[in-house]
Amino acid sequence: MFVRRRMKRSVITVNKDNSLIEAKSKMVRHGVNQLPVMDGETIVGIISKRDIDSATMPLILLGEKEEGKIREILETTKVTKLMTKNPVVANVNDTLEDAVILIHDHRVGSLPVLTDEGKLAGIISKTDVLEAFIEALGVNEVSQRLEVVVDDKPGTLAEVINIIKRFKTNLISLMTTPHPLGGKRIVYLRVASLNVLPIKKALEEKGIEILDPRNAPG
Amino acid sequence: MNVLSEKIAFVTHPDYTKHYPTYDHPECPDRVTAIANLVENSALAAHVDTLHPEPAPIDQVTLVHSPAYLEKLKTACENGNFWFDYEDTYINAFSYEIALLSAGGCIEGARAVLEGPYERAFCSVRPPGHHAAGDLGMGFCLLNNIAITSRVAQRQWGLEKIMILDWDVHHGNGTQEIFEKDPSVFYVSIHEHPTFIFPGTGRRWEKGSGPGSGYSMNIPLPPGAGDSEYIHSMESLIIPAIKEFAPELILISAGFDAHNQDPLSDMTVTEEGFRKLTALTLEASRDYSSGKVVSILEGGYHLEALKASVRMHLEELIFFGKEEKCLSGEE
Repeated sequence: MFVRRRMKRSVITVNKDNSLIEAKSKMVRHGVNQLPVMDGETIVGIISKRDIDSATMPLILLGEKEEGKIREILETTKVTKLMTKNPVVANVNDTLEDAVILIHDHRVGSLPVLTDEGKLAGIISKTDVLEAFIEALGVNEVSQRLEVVVDDKPGTLAEVINIIKRFKTNLISLMTTPHPLGGKRIVYLRVASLNVLPIKKALEEKGIEILDPRNAPG
Repeated sequence: MNVLSEKIAFVTHPDYTKHYPTYDHPECPDRVTAIANLVENSALAAHVDTLHPEPAPIDQVTLVHSPAYLEKLKTACENGNFWFDYEDTYINAFSYEIALLSAGGCIEGARAVLEGPYERAFCSVRPPGHHAAGDLGMGFCLLNNIAITSRVAQRQWGLEKIMILDWDVHHGNGTQEIFEKDPSVFYVSIHEHPTFIFPGTGRRWEKGSGPGSGYSMNIPLPPGAGDSEYIHSMESLIIPAIKEFAPELILISAGFDAHNQDPLSDMTVTEEGFRKLTALTLEASRDYSSGKVVSILEGGYHLEALKASVRMHLEELIFFGKEEKCLSGEE
């Protein structure tokens, strides 16, 4: 999965000469929290709703006189004053994993996505990434979850899949994580069947541990 | 006004066994046979009138399912297909007519209480229904029995407000989908949390949509939950909802697969728990509804646990609010 498949291609931006009030009203109008700041075709920064809000007092708490003053400041200050320069960006050839890591490690809400030539091609947000995760989990498809434990060595997962294959049940999703006890992995499966009993039985007959959700680790 | 019968209606049909799997499958004919034997061969027999239904008429089934869907199901059965829409949902040559008979059984249960002389009915039917959507069979279900019954009760007997209480361990995704935009049928489901069990829906924020917003309620419980969690949910959430909605009829999607012995779930409800759930429902029905309750069998796959639970359920349906003592231990 690549960033380009999940990113939004129509990006709402502001020009470096725009004021804070222009940026804020754009955010409200388009329902976004971040705007790339552009100098012509080139991205020079990113400004978020939080950047603006934290730099100004909440208007509602101020008297009329101060409110007017704040509004004037928002109208006359350029976005370049508050924007984050050199924002964290993704490349159109990055994978979704790259985007997840960048968003996580840099604690940002979204990543402008650039072409190799540095042109803005799209933007990918935390929500876009989570949407992909929801799909990968298979939670929106009719299915039942199964959690099994396998030895952390080649071929053990194939054995599980081969057993499931006998029951002609579609596999909707498959993930694994390390088992907290070490040396093993937990495999999370979603199968498109209510009747998981024979699958469970067959797995257990082969000595594969099925996790009881009542006392599963992690 | 007819005098109410002291008995309850027990709806079943010997032909329910004609829909059968060709391999080991938990939704098997023995389920209804076991219940029929339980009723016939115990002191319960004197307190029920056994009714044999007719198949549901097509024009009643199409209140929920599209004619194209019925045609697809009929053809699949005629063609000798082994399963329908999903591989876990088997069919045989009789499944189409038995699915109509199953829906017919539930309509008969509704007739028995809405025309009288019964106040309560239990419909021991199969195949079950609550997973079936308007155009999709799944989860062992071909026709949505309780949805069809709700629509017929509205159409034929003029009911305006119906509440469906679904305590099958699985979320009744079909029923919810059919009624989610409809404020006239309030769907309440208590089930094992969708992260752990089929079909993966029924999260707590699913509350209906559009005009039906606020008329679906989902109570997902964590794996391992038992009598106390179920009863607590009933008292703190479901009964207030019944009071507020004041339905004219309560239909129960009575699955008994939350039982601690059931092989398809992770819950720990006991047969005593099902007795208490039944009693609480009947009490709320008496206090905030018409007292009329039609209970419809859904899941429940451990035969002994199913029998024990249905026995408790029937005892409450028969004796709740009456002087006579319960029957357990009489034999």
